[in-house]
Amino acid sequence: MGRVKIARKSTFIDMTAMSDVTVLLLTFFMLTSTFLSKEPATVVTPASVSTEKVQETNVLQVLVSPKGQVWLTMNNDTSAQWSNANMRKALLENVADLYNAQHKNKVQFTNAQKETFSKLGAFGVPLAQMGEFLDLADQPEGLTKMDQWLAGEDPNPKHVTGIPISKENNDENLNEFQMWIKAARMAGNDNLTQAMKDGMGVAIKADQNTSFDVIHMVMDNLQTIKQNKFTLLTALKAGGE
Amino acid sequence: MAEVQQSGGDSGKKGHQKKMQIRVDFTPMVDMNMLLITFFMLCTTMIKSQTLTIALPSNEKVQSEENMSQASADDAITIIIDAKKKPGPTAGTLVIDSVNGNVVNEIYYYDGKPGGEGGMFGPGGTVLSQNNNLKKSDLLSDEVNSVGDHKARGIRQIIQERNKAVLEKVTELKKKLNDGGFGSLETKDDREAAMAKYNEEAAKVRKDENLKKPVIIIKSTPEASYRGLVDILDEMQINSISKYQIDNITDVDLVMLDDYRKHNK
Repeated sequence: MGRVKIARKSTFIDMTAMSDVTVLLLTFFMLTSTFLSKEPATVVTPASVSTEKVQETNVLQVLVSPKGQVWLTMNNDTSAQWSNANMRKALLENVADLYNAQHKNKVQFTNAQKETFSKLGAFGVPLAQMGEFLDLADQPEGLTKMDQWLAGEDPNPKHVTGIPISKENNDENLNEFQMWIKAARMAGNDNLTQAMKDGMGVAIKADQNTSFDVIHMVMDNLQTIKQNKFTLLTALKAGGE
Repeated sequence: MAEVQQSGGDSGKKGHQKKMQIRVDFTPMVDMNMLLITFFMLCTTMIKSQTLTIALPSNEKVQSEENMSQASADDAITIIIDAKKKPGPTAGTLVIDSVNGNVVNEIYYYDGKPGGEGGMFGPGGTVLSQNNNLKKSDLLSDEVNSVGDHKARGIRQIIQERNKAVLEKVTELKKKLNDGGFGSLETKDDREAAMAKYNEEAAKVRKDENLKKPVIIIKSTPEASYRGLVDILDEMQINSISKYQIDNITDVDLVMLDDYRKHNK
């Protein structure tokens, strides 16, 4: 009986084609991806049949947590004059002016603090604590600490997250949320001011299970400062009509 | 990793170039690429959020009665969104959907003025009569039969009945659009142009003062969820309602809700 000889074949597989495909896929994902910006609260927006797309530039996004905390994110023009950094600095200066006109305890921001603010994603701490918040950036692991503060996980109980907002509000005595919106409106960027006038410039992002009470408070605050038009962020409803 | 194989061994002929077969192992490269792809896939948001634009009236107090635009009682429908609450010993806590964990909303509506024809309230807010014109409805999607015809149900059916005049015209326009009445639908550009024309016409119909159309007042109890509000705003869009507003809930509405629940368990 002769043994059947099995030819030894090399297990070497040519990976060149595979590599080509993966590189193509990688390129696709790299070009299409827009990174999720870190947000202090995770929300699931309600579904709607509306197919209007969200505006990407010149929009002030109001993030509302189910507990009624409010944070802001500002996406600005692509032009150099009103880039994110310039716009943010103008916003912080304006809001400080509005705050100082109404309160005895004045707030003042250094250039370094303004620089830090211009690089932030979402923001929202009481203005009285804003300086302390922005100073964190210079500390080791400062950015992590800032994220923790915004997410409400700061060990210091005095560190409050969310822009102060109240149910009782009037035009003479603005709360800080209203100040921020007003400051954005008069920050000097005409495109943003126009977008806010048309209603596309202010977008409310809230969880679908947030109570109407909380949503109503935010809407009411906006109405008081004559920001009567705004948009609600929704997800596309499957099936549609 | 990369191997260079010499074929032909050492044939020592001078002037003859050695044939080199170069093979590079790409496996680690593929591994790394796959990792990067995974990273980008997980970090990407492919779906852009949609938006729903709403306009609210100014908060300023309207001084004179004349300045207020009053909806006639015949045209007005008030829709009230309320969160479903548990009955019995744990009354007051909200019912949570066991499947998706959402707050369950209930939809109520009444025509014209609250309370109906009979007097409802005695001194101190005591309920005198059950003559309550509040009715319960549901948020339901269309029922589609085997032929593919849509039939509206729940609150949508009620809104559509009131807005019949406008909806008939809009359906006509939609048919015209599909038949190519607003231009061809062949290429993407054509389609967009036709849609723009259609939208313009539809907006005219929706705002046509000669057609009888309802004015819808949307109210929500504080407990009801935001989703309910967006759902109702959606219904306005689906049913081509041009006049609607979000209003604060009044004590009368709350009493009516309580009264309704007491008598319809």
